Amino acid sequence: MSEFDAIVVGAGPAGSSAAIKMASQGLKVLLVERGEPPGSKNVSGGILWGKDLDAILPDWEKTAPLERYVERKVTSFLTKDSEISIDFKTKKFEQTKTGYSVLRTKFDQYLAKRASQAGAMVVSGITVDGLAIKDGRVIGVINEGDTITGDCVILAEGPNPRVAMAAGLRSKPEDTDVAIGVKQVYKLSEAAINERFNLRQNSGFAGEYVLSYLENDIFAGGFLYTNKDTISMGVVINIETLRRDGRTHSYDIMEQFVQHPFISRLVEGGTLQEYSAHFVYEGGYESLAKPYGEGYMLVGDTAGFSFSNGMILQGMNYAISSGIMAGETVIEAKKDNDFSEKSLSRYMDRLEKSPAILDKKNFAGMNKVVWSSLVHRAVPEMLESSLGMMLYENGEPKKHLTDIMMKSISSTELTKKDLIMQGYRLMRRM
Amino acid sequence: MAVEIIVMVKQVPDSQEVVIDPVTMNLNRSMTRNVTNRADENALEAALSIKDKIGANVTVISMGPPQAETTMIECLARGADRAILVSDRFFGGADTYPTGLTLAATISKIGKYDIIIAGEESSDSSTGHVGPGVAEFLDIDQITYASNVDYEDGYVIGERELEDGTEVVKVPTPVLVTVLLNSNDPRRQTLRRKIDAIRKGFEVWNIEKVGLPPEWVGVRGSPTIVRRMRSIKEKERAGKKYDLTNLGELVKELYEKKVLKMEEE
Ligand SMILES: Cc1cc2nc3c(=O)[nH]c(=O)nc-3n(C[C@H](O)[C@H](O)[C@H](O)COP(=O)(O)OP(=O)(O)OC[C@H]3O[C@@H](n4cnc5c(N)ncnc54)[C@H](O)[C@@H]3O)c2cc1C
Ligand SMILES: Cc1cc2nc3c(=O)[nH]c(=O)nc-3n(C[C@H](O)[C@H](O)[C@H](O)COP(=O)(O)OP(=O)(O)OC[C@H]3O[C@@H](n4cnc5c(N)ncnc54)[C@H](O)[C@@H]3O)c2cc1C
Repeated sequence: MSEFDAIVVGAGPAGSSAAIKMASQGLKVLLVERGEPPGSKNVSGGILWGKDLDAILPDWEKTAPLERYVERKVTSFLTKDSEISIDFKTKKFEQTKTGYSVLRTKFDQYLAKRASQAGAMVVSGITVDGLAIKDGRVIGVINEGDTITGDCVILAEGPNPRVAMAAGLRSKPEDTDVAIGVKQVYKLSEAAINERFNLRQNSGFAGEYVLSYLENDIFAGGFLYTNKDTISMGVVINIETLRRDGRTHSYDIMEQFVQHPFISRLVEGGTLQEYSAHFVYEGGYESLAKPYGEGYMLVGDTAGFSFSNGMILQGMNYAISSGIMAGETVIEAKKDNDFSEKSLSRYMDRLEKSPAILDKKNFAGMNKVVWSSLVHRAVPEMLESSLGMMLYENGEPKKHLTDIMMKSISSTELTKKDLIMQGYRLMRRM
Repeated sequence: MAVEIIVMVKQVPDSQEVVIDPVTMNLNRSMTRNVTNRADENALEAALSIKDKIGANVTVISMGPPQAETTMIECLARGADRAILVSDRFFGGADTYPTGLTLAATISKIGKYDIIIAGEESSDSSTGHVGPGVAEFLDIDQITYASNVDYEDGYVIGERELEDGTEVVKVPTPVLVTVLLNSNDPRRQTLRRKIDAIRKGFEVWNIEKVGLPPEWVGVRGSPTIVRRMRSIKEKERAGKKYDLTNLGELVKELYEKKVLKMEEE
């Protein structure tokens, strides 16, 4: 007999969601988190697409510490001197507020508390050292030499899953499968944020940027989200191009983003509150690890369920949904009292039908296209010069749009063949 | 009969929670979380090493709001046998005098005690009054600022670091000891013990249980009147950056601003 039906390692969105699901069905659940309180290791914030929470916390929109709902979404190319954007605002988001900015410290603490209220035993301030494995089966977790047994162990350690890797349940990610994410939080007044971003009370701004002004052929994207009285912003940097350059530090890229003429005025006067850098997993379908086996499952970032298009990073939504699916699988397995690999393969059946896997499949190879000179150099340069020619009156006779476009294309470094090839690949992948 | 050790712990805002801004190199304190006063972790460790040696009973007591529960569980997870949180709205706003009185009354209610161990001071108010105050209320001997605590046949042996050497004092129990911050290396909490601690729980004592009249404790029992509080303004920095490959410019500017002086002046 095990001491717990399930032991969950890590109280991020994935682990807490799994624990809430299982505990609310009466299972004996242990949720172990190294941060004290939960969330204290997860700084900064992001946009939560929280629809999946409906299934376990129907009241989340009323009770969770949400900052602002996304009303305005901006996608921009930033060149050295210009910003070219699509600025999408819709009243529709007012009714279906599925995207909210959150600050992780508060949000993770909320989720862990809900797990505890649902009946899970939440132990924070403790790091799991490893897995207890007997006859090829995971039978529990180890801390300071003691083994705590559980019928099933759910690993929700986040993007750097030491425990899963040490047990050989996941390999170390390849350089091509990870990016560096740098995040900062700036404090500003609520009034200043509303005014600068043209927002009301709870409405928010989510901006994503291609940083095409970067030198030395480094590719990076940026993001900027408004919270109540803070701004979360950061950069996502392609590791290969950063390594190839070798001289530029990720901090420099963050700094240049903050200093960009059209970004700096958004955060002007703000005080820096938090700063952190992380590896982020953005591997495709091919590089996913098998997320289950004898007595265990991998959820959230630990399984590789995050998604990046080079500007935004999404992962909380997949973390939550995969956590819930793992929870459902344990509930079923408990009924049959069967925690074998075969029984837990029902987790995979669920995943195959869910966005966590489908998005990866459908956008397979996406990051190879996104991290390209087409997106990061040619398109922005072309847009900048053609818009420049179109929109300014300089006393010369007007030209046809196609002439302007062709001229701009020829001013970029890419050959026409490259352009067609990369453009076609991008279309196919989108 | 086992030796009874009582450890006094306080929950404080985390003073370690500072983030260094890598750009400006400024310290910055954001979201404060609550932690156990660090010197009190040393006090608990001193108690636990005596327990390791002679098999004593260790009881942790704290006066504080309900959120101090995390500190109670943490102390149990490090190895304490019992934890009592003294918590009641009447105790709120206490200065060091009623804090000492309340803790002393709690200790008397516990009954038997041989050694009481406290931290040298708290990191948030840093008066260092409370330990000695408790000793005075209980009318027992005290050893303050100990760097090491040991027990032998009814005596506590405390080491005190002095400027010109170490003073070793041997005092018969019962005795109160305050220990220096960083005087030992606190053991870690373990998952096993933390699970047991959550299952077992800790005690919460209210004012009736402690047995003191409300007018003796909290704000009403506090003789101190805070006249005025001043906050210290941080000096604005110009935020200018210098090219370190061209130190001449920096030196020249410091000279012009009279920060540096020429040798002959
Ligand atoms: C710069 C950046 C921006 C992002 N922006 C967004 C965004 O806007 N929207 C979005 O949806 N996603 C975003 N993401 C992705 C998102 O952060 C992750 O996908 C998500 O946090 C994954 O959740 P998780 O529960 O799997 O892991 P995590 O949130 O990483 O949680 C893992 C938890 O496990 C704990 N832990 C780890 N090891 C142990 C151990 N051995 N013992 C005990 N506890 C342990 C950790 O302390 C942590 O609390 C962003 C990521 C980055 C880096
Ligand atoms: C801004 C501010 C101003 C204040 N001004 C005054 C003032 O002018 N005069 C005054 O008397 N008080 C004042 N106080 C209150 C007081 O200093 C303390 O909050 C409280 O009385 C405990 O004293 P201490 O924190 O200095 O503890 P210390 O005496 O420094 O603590 C020594 C040890 O005693 C033990 N201990 C202390 N408190 C507890 C506790 N609650 N439970 C268990 N063990 C404990 C711990 O082992 C600790 O390491 C002020 C507080 C604040 C925040």
